[in-house]
Amino acid sequence: MAEQNSTSETLATSGGVPALLRVDEVTKIYGSGHTAVTALQAASMSVDTNEFVALLGPSGSGKTTLISIIGGLLAPTSGSIHLGGVDVTGLSARELTRFRAERVGFVFQSANLVPFLTARENLLYVAGLTKMPKSHARQRADQLLEELGLAARAKNVPEQLSGGERQRVAIGRALMNDPDLVLVDEPTAALDTALGRQVVQLLRREIKDRGKTGIMVTHDLRMVEYTDRVFEILDGHLTHVESPTTAGH
Amino acid sequence: MSTALMLATAEIRRGRARFSAVVSALSLIVFLVLVLGALADGLFFGATGAVRSTTATAYAFSAEAEGSLVRSRLDTKDVAAFAQAPGVESAGPVGVLLTGGTGPQGDIDLSVFGIEMGSAGTPTTLVAGRLPQPGENGVAAADQQLQQSGIEIGSIVAVGEVQAEIVGIVTDTAYQLQPTIWTSVDTWRAMRDAVRPELIGQVTAINSVALVTEPGADLTQIAASVADTTVLTAEATGLAIPGVEQQNATLTSIIYTTLAVSALVVALFFALLVLEKRELFAALKALGTPTSRLGVSVIIQAVVSSVLGVIIGAVVSRLFGLIIPASVPTLFRTETLITIGIFTVIAGFVGALFSLRRIARIDPATAIGGAL
Repeated sequence: MAEQNSTSETLATSGGVPALLRVDEVTKIYGSGHTAVTALQAASMSVDTNEFVALLGPSGSGKTTLISIIGGLLAPTSGSIHLGGVDVTGLSARELTRFRAERVGFVFQSANLVPFLTARENLLYVAGLTKMPKSHARQRADQLLEELGLAARAKNVPEQLSGGERQRVAIGRALMNDPDLVLVDEPTAALDTALGRQVVQLLRREIKDRGKTGIMVTHDLRMVEYTDRVFEILDGHLTHVESPTTAGH
Repeated sequence: MSTALMLATAEIRRGRARFSAVVSALSLIVFLVLVLGALADGLFFGATGAVRSTTATAYAFSAEAEGSLVRSRLDTKDVAAFAQAPGVESAGPVGVLLTGGTGPQGDIDLSVFGIEMGSAGTPTTLVAGRLPQPGENGVAAADQQLQQSGIEIGSIVAVGEVQAEIVGIVTDTAYQLQPTIWTSVDTWRAMRDAVRPELIGQVTAINSVALVTEPGADLTQIAASVADTTVLTAEATGLAIPGVEQQNATLTSIIYTTLAVSALVVALFFALLVLEKRELFAALKALGTPTSRLGVSVIIQAVVSSVLGVIIGAVVSRLFGLIIPASVPTLFRTETLITIGIFTVIAGFVGALFSLRRIARIDPATAIGGAL
């Protein structure tokens, strides 16, 4: 009970605590017995505030599993995740939902905006999942859209936006609730190289300017130059690599 | 809650084409049900008007008549006996004849009610002219439906050789779907004798005794005061008319079966919609949307669709009512519309509930890695 209290307190007072992500010996095994598959083997990593790191690896390597566990979408078989002092693995399903709304920003592979909400409403939607006052939310959404060069597109629905614009709205949505951690899943998958670079550059700038922690999953080596450090996953084993060019496909 | 409302209404507003499909389906169902309801009400009200639209609260029958006015045989002296019974305020004779007659435009189907004007059983729905005076023979008040056969105040209606001049118009007094003329017991008996010569001479025979009873009066006790009689409330007398209860039951079951179908339509539509939005819902859950809010948004959409379906279905059915031939008894009642409207919205709500399990099963983790 005492632990639960401290958890919700920490959740509530997210502002002041420096967001430091610690992944300790996280293992994920799917299935059991003969059919058991180890997706992640004792993965450990540490990412500081104001850091933007890349997570490289071919498909099936376990990078999706790791980022899902870090983002509170998947429970590890063993090991723990701490974000700004909160033991993520100790949260209930309900607390995890709130944790994701308040402390984590997601940028999905294909933007995944709500197709029937305008760019601005997509941002306001996630604010509605927290206790952010409405007037503050509107102000913040307009400010983010302005920064992301989308002020003129605020009233457009995703269908009326280009791929790059959609991904920028998704970045705005990820930053809307002022999260500690921004998780980015293959942001350039649906974009050409030039646009991909622009989007990743923008991501880096937004994360750095705000002193956030960012993790970007990618298999695109050209994008790692915008990150501070590179982790690589191969067959469930996570390693910190000095020179990302060695990362295999 | 506000996020659920935002999702629900924005999707309806910006995806009108898609929602018009389910709203159209629901409108058609509501239309069908309302027309069936109008037919059911038309049959019921057309069959029972003559026992509902009078001052009588109960009717007395001969024991073997099983509550049928036409089969019942009583005597005029029973009227006085019933008037003395405990719990009876007043009593009046009722003679009933279902027959053919002639009006200004030719042959008409009629029911003739012979009553003692002013006593129990007098119609209360006069819309024009006057009722015959007590003891006034050779005149009658006609049901409004007879206006379609050209009958107005001043017209002559004849049964056999016996004529009655129409002095007033009453409404909602049909009996077994035949419009009624209200006349004196003597005029009624003359008409009866004209078409049923075998009954000539039965000068004190009547069919029933209409009663105005005190609130809470014991009908069994009233019946006991005259040997071999039964007493039914006016409402039960209506239901005892041959076919009325059966028609009602049949049409009512068709109506509620159709409403159950509308629940299935809503369930199917939203099941498909949720299936289609699986990826989006996974992403929204990943972003921290509680499952309950997604469920509430689907329920709001189902309820809004149902309400729109009810409104459109109601308007279309009323327009349709204008082109239904007058020979088909229909009655569009606000009470029926409200009942069916409420049931449709409940059916929509229940239909949406089926999607909730599907929404709950969507795994937010599938939003990452393009796993779908």
